[in-house]
Amino acid sequence: MPVSCVCYAVHILKRFVAVVAMACLSSSRLCARVQDKLLCQFGHKVRKQTVFVKLKPPGPSPLRIFGKTCQRVTTCGPACGSGGFSAGASSGLVRRLASSLQSTSTGSLPDYGTQIVDPYRLLEDDLNGIYEDIRSELERNTNQSELNTIATYYFDGQGKALRPMVAILMARAVNYHVYGENSALLPSQRQVAMISEMIHSASLIHDDVIDQSDFRRGKPSVNVLWNHKKVAMAGDFILAVASMMIARLRSDDVTLVLSQVVTDLVQGEFMQLGSKETENERFAHYLTKTYRKTASLIANSVKAVALLSGADESTCELAFQYGRNLGLSFQLVDDLLDFVSSAQAMGKPTAADLKLGLATAPVLFACEKYPELNPMIMRRFQEPGDVEKAYELVHKSRGLEQTRFLARKHGAEAARLAAELADSPYQKGLVVTTDLVLNRIK
Amino acid sequence: MSLSRLCRVVRCDLVKVQSSSALVSKLWGPCAPREVSTCSTQRASVAQHSSKPDWNRAVSEAEKIVGYPTSFLSLRWVLSDEIANVALHLRKLVGSNHPLLKTAKFSAHTLRLLLNLVLPNDFQVGQLTVKIDTHFFSRNLIYNGKNNMQAWGLIVLLVSKAAGHSPEIPDMEQDKAAGVLHSQRALAEVTEMIRTSHLVHKGLVNMNSRQPIAAEPDDMMFGNKIALLSGDYLLANSCSELANLRNQELVELMSSAVRDLAEAEFLGERDEQNNPLPSRPLPKDQIEEATEWDIITDPLPMGGVIGCAGREWSARHVLAAGALLGKSCSAALKLAGHKPQLQTQGYLFGCHLALAWQAFLDLEAFTGPEPASFSLVGAPLAFTLEARPELYEYIEAGKKSVQDVDYHALYKAVLAGDGLEQTKRLQREHIARAVHVLDSFPDCDARTALANIIVAMHHDHL
Repeated sequence: MPVSCVCYAVHILKRFVAVVAMACLSSSRLCARVQDKLLCQFGHKVRKQTVFVKLKPPGPSPLRIFGKTCQRVTTCGPACGSGGFSAGASSGLVRRLASSLQSTSTGSLPDYGTQIVDPYRLLEDDLNGIYEDIRSELERNTNQSELNTIATYYFDGQGKALRPMVAILMARAVNYHVYGENSALLPSQRQVAMISEMIHSASLIHDDVIDQSDFRRGKPSVNVLWNHKKVAMAGDFILAVASMMIARLRSDDVTLVLSQVVTDLVQGEFMQLGSKETENERFAHYLTKTYRKTASLIANSVKAVALLSGADESTCELAFQYGRNLGLSFQLVDDLLDFVSSAQAMGKPTAADLKLGLATAPVLFACEKYPELNPMIMRRFQEPGDVEKAYELVHKSRGLEQTRFLARKHGAEAARLAAELADSPYQKGLVVTTDLVLNRIK
Repeated sequence: MSLSRLCRVVRCDLVKVQSSSALVSKLWGPCAPREVSTCSTQRASVAQHSSKPDWNRAVSEAEKIVGYPTSFLSLRWVLSDEIANVALHLRKLVGSNHPLLKTAKFSAHTLRLLLNLVLPNDFQVGQLTVKIDTHFFSRNLIYNGKNNMQAWGLIVLLVSKAAGHSPEIPDMEQDKAAGVLHSQRALAEVTEMIRTSHLVHKGLVNMNSRQPIAAEPDDMMFGNKIALLSGDYLLANSCSELANLRNQELVELMSSAVRDLAEAEFLGERDEQNNPLPSRPLPKDQIEEATEWDIITDPLPMGGVIGCAGREWSARHVLAAGALLGKSCSAALKLAGHKPQLQTQGYLFGCHLALAWQAFLDLEAFTGPEPASFSLVGAPLAFTLEARPELYEYIEAGKKSVQDVDYHALYKAVLAGDGLEQTKRLQREHIARAVHVLDSFPDCDARTALANIIVAMHHDHL
């Protein structure tokens, strides 16, 4: 058992270090976390018996964590070949270790010592009517009824509203962090929540035309119902209205932050058209693409609400990093569900990515064990039988497991960042959200 | 790297202007030999008697005054690595039969712009551009010459220069040589990106139609993908360009222009490829009163528009063209620190100019030999239909595809009626209003250049 554990850990390490060195995503930090994770693999058995500490310590990391962490580091560190972790390890490193140890708690809700926070219930009043507000904003902006029909089609309230939820949660958590208990949600912050959902829908609508999908959210997708040219225009329309709403917030910084989202989304789409030759390049490509297509929207909209709150730079950056990690975790889980979930639960067909010729994390991981996937990736699973074969190999490999593992890593990092905000129900909600994202089934 | 690319873009444009004007005279030669001969003598003299190449002359003179409207400098992503991948896809597209490449809408300029943006080296650019131009665009160059998107950015710059700017603008922000602000140049670029993006999105093929599609479905899908993404790319870049101007009123105004363009594609009847058809003319007594468009950041009111020839034409082209040019001119004056009153004048100038331009394009179909087809929502036909509502049955034949319309019958009807006369009147009206605004600017080279462009357009049909 310990031997296989070492193998797995080393395997993961090799993969991540290579990946991270290629990706431009705060590589040094990620590297450090990968090493942490290595240690975690060893601590796993032990940890299951330990009592979880509160995720949000009132001040700097309490000594309690420090002690436990230290113990584990000293027992397993040298065995992993990453020696040098002595008692003299810097406090930053210990903090990171502490957070990474806690990370394995994600997947099963940690005991906070308080009742579990359901972010959706917590924000019921704020989220109530958010789709209606978006619809009326769109309706106000056109006198063409068909345009209105197409543009409002996906705002029927059937979506998860994850982006608005996270934006409002962060807004309230940061307001609480900055102004204390009596802070309230600013109208401009709620606008950003709406805008984030609108930008998301605009990109979905264009994706539908590009990918020719048949179903989305359990109903026929827009391209099945209407003229593709009109559908494309409806996407532009939603973006234009969102962009007018952004402008009406009258904040230069917020406009800049949110315009970055649009640029990232399109660049991500373009990246999806191409693929890279070598494995390592491919994984870095995949991660950057995932950031641009999914995480950037969440990261930048939570940053925007933090800016509107008047929070200092480091808090805004914290919000951004929370959103980035949450977004990456979300997309990794999405890519995973594409392989394991049923079409019915997802509201869209499964193995859809493979059919579109896309190699997502599970495939990229699987191709380490089954190199025969490489040529299939290069030809974008176009030959008959490719999709089925790839699907089968992914399930035979540890690709799904490894994808979940990476998703947890990012979820844990998001939770750690959220824990740095002042203790409040909303801050707890941010932590719980990382679990919701990991444990969702659709 | 960035500089050499920039040079190439500029050089490429220079070459293009020349070659297209050469082609214009060649193509017009057989049908109007007299004009060609006058044009060659006119080249040396001052533009007095108008003929086709005067348009190009007016435009290229104007370009010298304010510099090229599109600097491409801000498109930093040109150099990004991933984007180079798209080159491969575009090359595939060129080999395919996507109608995107054949429509006048997807003009040579658009494609050149995209190619310049995405292709990594000179050789490929040259080869591709040549191939595309000769295969697909030679017949559209005249149209594109007049409907040149570059001219839109140019107008914005000329208006900027003609109106001057408030003395409070710091020296740093001025492009002294050209007499415009850097921010105004960026705005001109945004105007072109928005327009190009819209035209590229309009070039999509509706694959959700009952009509069989001529080419391979895979080619179509691929073309659509590229068109959609390229348009989105330009749109995304205009978003970040606008954000960089740090003027939220301006962002709101320009975003509302994007919204107007989207709305334009939904106005009135459409065939299955979303080509516009005129609405059935309503009897005079059934036409409601029209509402004024007082607040231009609100959507254009549609009351009393549908079924009324003149208003429908105006509404259609205000949404599709006038709003963008007008709002851009207005925004340029805002950047220069001018008062709201002058900004409104700027809007009116741009809007009337765009409508005059449109009337001119509508008339063009009826000046040469009979064309195989022409715009069904042009002013001459709209006025003709208003006078003779029974002709609407020809329009109804085009419900599935505008290609099913009997253009010959409609052409004869237009020539027989006074539609052309009314359109010329309409054009003169818009020109007069644009010129009226122009008169309020101080006399300078930019104002003269604008006047020359208007004159070049005006005289063509007199």
